[in-house]
Amino acid sequence: MVGLSVGEKHFIQGGIAQDLRSDGRKRLTYRPIYVETGVIPQAHGSARVRLGATDVIASVKAELGKPSALQPDKGNIAIYVDCSPTAAPMFEGRGGEELSTELSVALQRCLLGGKSGAGAGIDPTSLVVVEGKVCWDLYIDGLVISSDGNLLDALAAAIKAALSNTGIPKVNVAADATSDEQPEVNISDEEFLQFDTSGIPVIVTLTKVGRHYIVDATSEEESQMSSAVSISVNRKGHICGLTKRGGVGLDPSIILDMISVAKHVSEQLINKLDSEIAAAEASEEES
Amino acid sequence: MEYVSPEGLRLDGRRPMEMRQLRAEIGTVAKANGSAVFEMGNTKVIAAVYGPREVQNRSQQINDQALVRCEYSMANFSTGDRMRKPKGDRRSTEISLVIRQTMEACILTHLMPRSQIDIFVQVLQADGGTRSACINAATLALADAGIPMRDIVTSCSAGYLNSTPLLDLNYIEDSAGGPDVTVGILPKLDKVTLLQMDAKLPVDIFENVMGLAIEGCKAIANYIREVLLENTKQLEYRRGL
Repeated sequence: MVGLSVGEKHFIQGGIAQDLRSDGRKRLTYRPIYVETGVIPQAHGSARVRLGATDVIASVKAELGKPSALQPDKGNIAIYVDCSPTAAPMFEGRGGEELSTELSVALQRCLLGGKSGAGAGIDPTSLVVVEGKVCWDLYIDGLVISSDGNLLDALAAAIKAALSNTGIPKVNVAADATSDEQPEVNISDEEFLQFDTSGIPVIVTLTKVGRHYIVDATSEEESQMSSAVSISVNRKGHICGLTKRGGVGLDPSIILDMISVAKHVSEQLINKLDSEIAAAEASEEES
Repeated sequence: MEYVSPEGLRLDGRRPMEMRQLRAEIGTVAKANGSAVFEMGNTKVIAAVYGPREVQNRSQQINDQALVRCEYSMANFSTGDRMRKPKGDRRSTEISLVIRQTMEACILTHLMPRSQIDIFVQVLQADGGTRSACINAATLALADAGIPMRDIVTSCSAGYLNSTPLLDLNYIEDSAGGPDVTVGILPKLDKVTLLQMDAKLPVDIFENVMGLAIEGCKAIANYIREVLLENTKQLEYRRGL
């Protein structure tokens, strides 16, 4: 994937050991985040997030559907990620499928909680229009346009921004909806409901290179990793999901250490992201 | 349905011979050798060029010229209704082929033997004329990558509805069932490299519609030249010349 010489590898590893990475950052510093909202006018909500040379777009589309019989009081949410071949020639054809699936599953795990929907960043009960009959199906699509490492964190940030940009049309249900038939619904063009996005977690990926771990690794740094742990943390500091990648084993005590570091880093990330989202929303309203 | 009102205005308020607003940006994908975003109204595509580089699949290597490859893909959210299509369906394969052939015709492939040039186009929003927008974006991306070309290629579509030739159809006009003529030209050499039409049209009207599309291509060519010139000025400025 990334062709590096022995000297370059040594330089990256040495820099990380000395807490001064090749782009001048410290081990626990993120690259600057740029957020742009409303980039896809056809979607209900969308956002583009840039993290250095990593560039992703997330869009949210809502469709009226039927809740599953097992969970009549919950709407459906699905996350799909696509890796565009523009990001790297290796994603051509079916080449990006493996990574796309890995990212989709990791995001579902970190943002949507378990099967029951408990611990989800978005409350699935808020999507129900008529219990057991009508609900919103939320489709969240991520697209990787340019990839320079740390895709998971960027995608999670983009999804958070897209959801705060989302307005779901208000639905009026016909009053005589007491029978067993599907009730008639009327979708309003003017009134929109906003989501409560304060509970949506951010994902912090800690990549272990040598004896140390770093946040927001570039693709050069990722090529040198032994393993990586992605931890999703919400504003309250609760851990909402966890994924470990990479083959090399980790000491359990190190994992606990990583979690506490991720918790600390996530506070700054959430604040930074929130202010960026607010700025993006403000500039969108102006234009 | 009425696509041109008695006052001579189209559904989106344009006049029959008016193009949608163009916007282009060079260098949007940092990791690619060349890249560009091209917008025609609500249609928005990104093109990225990788190469010229070593041929990845040795059996495809051509000894006296460069191998040009192209892949067209649409984002799930690009159309009005969300769709989830498998990659490599017939439509995208056909468009990939069209873009590849059009770009191959203008790249000086004999200057780069035993190498490979990859063109990737990604549709972010589709509102009619994606084919044209993709070709225009690919031209800009190739120019940004510094790949030698005979001329820039530009493309534009035109149609014929309510007995009026219309320039640059949007999605609603495109799906109206009338003829849709997509033309690609090399503006400096004044040659047509791409011509596609569906539905039937009398020959004399076809001449008009094609002429209109060629005019559109020339207008786009002027815009693309402006964008490239502006980009070159920026590069010059950054080098401190």
